[in-house]
Amino acid sequence: MEAFGLRDDVTDKSAIATHNSLQLIAFSIGEQTYGVEITTVREIRAWNGATPLPNTREYVRGVINLRGTIVPIFDLRARFGDGQTSPTKNHVVVVMSVGEKWVGILVDAVSDILTVPRDDIHTVPEGNAVDIELLNGIVTHDNRMVGLIDLQSVISGSKLDG
Amino acid sequence: MSELDDFKATYFDECTELLSELEEQFAAIEAGERDAGRLNAVFRAIHSIKGGAGAFGFTALVEFAHAYETLLDFVRDGRVELSDEVVTLCIRANDIVADHVNAARVAEALPGDYGAHEKSRFDALCQDEASGVAGPDEDGPIEDFDIDFTPVAVNLETMDSFEDSPLPQDAGVWEIRFTPHQALYARANDPLLLLRELAALGEISVRPVIADIPTLSEFEPFGVYCSWEITLVSQTATQEQIREVFEFVEGDCDISIAQLGAGGPVPLSPGESQAQETDRLDGSLADLLTLADDEIEAAPLDLRESQEEELSDAGFAELAAAMTTPDPAPPAAGEASSPPIASAPAMPASPGSEEASRVGVQSIRVDLEKVDRVVNMVGELVITQSMLTQQMDETLRARYTELVRGLEVLAQTTRGLQDSVMAIRAQPVKSVFSRMPRLVRELAAKTGKTIRLETIGENTEIDKTIIEQLSDPLTHMIRNSADHGIETPEKRAAAGKPKTGTIRLSAEQAGGNILIVIEDDGGGINREKVLQVARDKGIVAPDTQLTDEQIDQLIFAPGFSTADAVSDISGRGVGMDVVLSNIKKIGGSVHVRSWPGRGTRMTLRLPLTLAVLDVMLVRVSGSPYVVPLSSIVETIQCSRAPFERVPSGGRVLQVRGEYVQVVDLAQRFGMPSNAEPDARFVVLCEAEGETKIALVVDDIIGQQQVVIKSLEENFERVEGIAGGTILGDGNVALIVDVQGLRANLHHKNAA
Repeated sequence: MEAFGLRDDVTDKSAIATHNSLQLIAFSIGEQTYGVEITTVREIRAWNGATPLPNTREYVRGVINLRGTIVPIFDLRARFGDGQTSPTKNHVVVVMSVGEKWVGILVDAVSDILTVPRDDIHTVPEGNAVDIELLNGIVTHDNRMVGLIDLQSVISGSKLDG
Repeated sequence: MSELDDFKATYFDECTELLSELEEQFAAIEAGERDAGRLNAVFRAIHSIKGGAGAFGFTALVEFAHAYETLLDFVRDGRVELSDEVVTLCIRANDIVADHVNAARVAEALPGDYGAHEKSRFDALCQDEASGVAGPDEDGPIEDFDIDFTPVAVNLETMDSFEDSPLPQDAGVWEIRFTPHQALYARANDPLLLLRELAALGEISVRPVIADIPTLSEFEPFGVYCSWEITLVSQTATQEQIREVFEFVEGDCDISIAQLGAGGPVPLSPGESQAQETDRLDGSLADLLTLADDEIEAAPLDLRESQEEELSDAGFAELAAAMTTPDPAPPAAGEASSPPIASAPAMPASPGSEEASRVGVQSIRVDLEKVDRVVNMVGELVITQSMLTQQMDETLRARYTELVRGLEVLAQTTRGLQDSVMAIRAQPVKSVFSRMPRLVRELAAKTGKTIRLETIGENTEIDKTIIEQLSDPLTHMIRNSADHGIETPEKRAAAGKPKTGTIRLSAEQAGGNILIVIEDDGGGINREKVLQVARDKGIVAPDTQLTDEQIDQLIFAPGFSTADAVSDISGRGVGMDVVLSNIKKIGGSVHVRSWPGRGTRMTLRLPLTLAVLDVMLVRVSGSPYVVPLSSIVETIQCSRAPFERVPSGGRVLQVRGEYVQVVDLAQRFGMPSNAEPDARFVVLCEAEGETKIALVVDDIIGQQQVVIKSLEENFERVEGIAGGTILGDGNVALIVDVQGLRANLHHKNAA
């Protein structure tokens, strides 16, 4: 994928040691595991409520105060179209930087840090536009599929947001 | 490169200040206050502009400023009378200087003959007067002003002393006594360079005078303890030339120049035992060194530096002892007695160090970003403090009285800190107001009207960000008043009004707001015409009936202009709606009122600061929201509120005979409320143009001050929400966008 190739270049510059592999933070939504590149993660914190925003998309759970800045929280389950998460204290917010912005995504749990070779990244199977939009690629870990989240698409929701 | 750019930027900053000072001074001069202090201030301002321009090579600006300065000099010493005509010419000259400065700032060239007319008038005025006077020595007294704080009188006296001193006609040998003050070193002047320059005039011999070095107990490491006696032998050098060498340090040193008649170098005066004749300054420094080493062991400083510092205080000491200079009347007397701590080590002259070295320094230049950082942090501190206070419940209060007292003190201190920090950002509106007189002059000239501008309350302080945003709207409004409001002198005479139209610009603080009022005594808004144009342009539906007040507000509608012909002043129809949008952007509102035949009044209501907002905290469907206190008129309990139904199914509220749209925030925000309908509250808000809107909320929690945070920084704009803020418990509350809610009212109700 072209977009992914670009991102390779960026990480190559920042982390020479891992230029052939990718470090991921893996987290779960239900039974499924997803991952984001570890360099984008700024903070992981327990769910502690958010102030809901009016008239906004279903998967925007609201905003939280992160040391004086207001950060929006996206509900990844809702973003995948599986309805809103009913968060408890055990749910986790992963705060990441996307370009200039900081955003949080609400997930069920953070499971692991994975190191995967770049060559092992599979493309997302053609067929469902939602999958292609939200995932950058797929890696295999312990014989399970880990979807690489395309954060930009998750937070923008421009193309397929209904 | 970038350093030079920094200096340039500082220079232009200073120019802006100086130009507004010029406006101010001339406003007073025009009003009849023609005392010397004002003229001197004008002179200094022009001279400073010229000085910087010379350093950066803005030749056109230097030339014009120089001619202007010459005239000012003549005016100052009474050779040219300060008639109304001259005042007008000077005001025009200020504008030209401003244009030159602007041209230099954007690196554009003005037409070559720009200001030539004025320049020739300066010359003519000066020539008339100068014919009898021997050589207009512009550079002499003028240069005294290089050092902006130097009292004028002193330098003139020094000047006189030069002229009074007997000047034997035999050319050849000059005896020069050069006593630098500490300020000379502070400005990074190097005596060596001066002496070398002097050497270029002829043969020189230099003798250091270092008898004044005190004992170690009194020794001041950064003091100046050296002066020089110089004998210059030259057949051609004139006193003028010698003075020119010291031109740039005049005021920072004492100079006496005397001609001894032809002959060889004169031996040094007997008193100074340590002094030796040397040809080079370096040599004399070396001598000084020996001496210093004898007297002071292990001088802590770098040697060369320490010598230099030592040198300057001697100037003071000698000065204080009224040395050879006939009339020292020292400008530096104050400096000499000032405590040594104040005298920072000599540094390369940067604008900063120059500022700092000024006696009685009033202000420092600080990056706005730095101030903002402090403002933000203080905001966080306020939040933390209120969080702590909220944590104190009754049991804790009873148990830890000392802690409670401490928290109370903390609360007071934080509030004080917050106020002080806000005050740093506050600036008098003068900086914007002072640009307006010129605008009015130009408008008057272009329209052929006579217009007077009155400004009131220009010391009213307001947040700097707001001030920056204020310039454009004010310009447009004043243009509008001058172009559409004020009538031609003939019309005014016919209407029985004074020929001169008046525009009054005033600023005052009213509660948490600043009111800026632009009034004119012109013809007022032609409502028939306005309504006609608005209908023609489709801004108003043909059958709509509007009140007078509503018609007046139409001038702010986008694309609206009633000017018959598009003039280059106003009339493109982009002016007034820009005013409205700019003012809205900074959280203000505009209101216009007009009296046919008597004039128009436009009122800008602006928040005092953008950083902190006084709000009412309310609850809607379990979430906290805040409503800016400045927009709240009153709150009413729902059970007592006289609601009425309208056909659309919506509700209106009757308030003192007025019907107001009701917006249920829970419904509007799509968050069902489970509060008892009668237990809820109505918050009556005033939106722009005095239209009201009634917001229904579940509960009112209280009032507080909040720091505004952007939602867009990490997210995007949310309809109906003006931003976010962080409450004492660390949660985020959203700021209700009263104006935005009203704007979308019809659209939303229809849906």
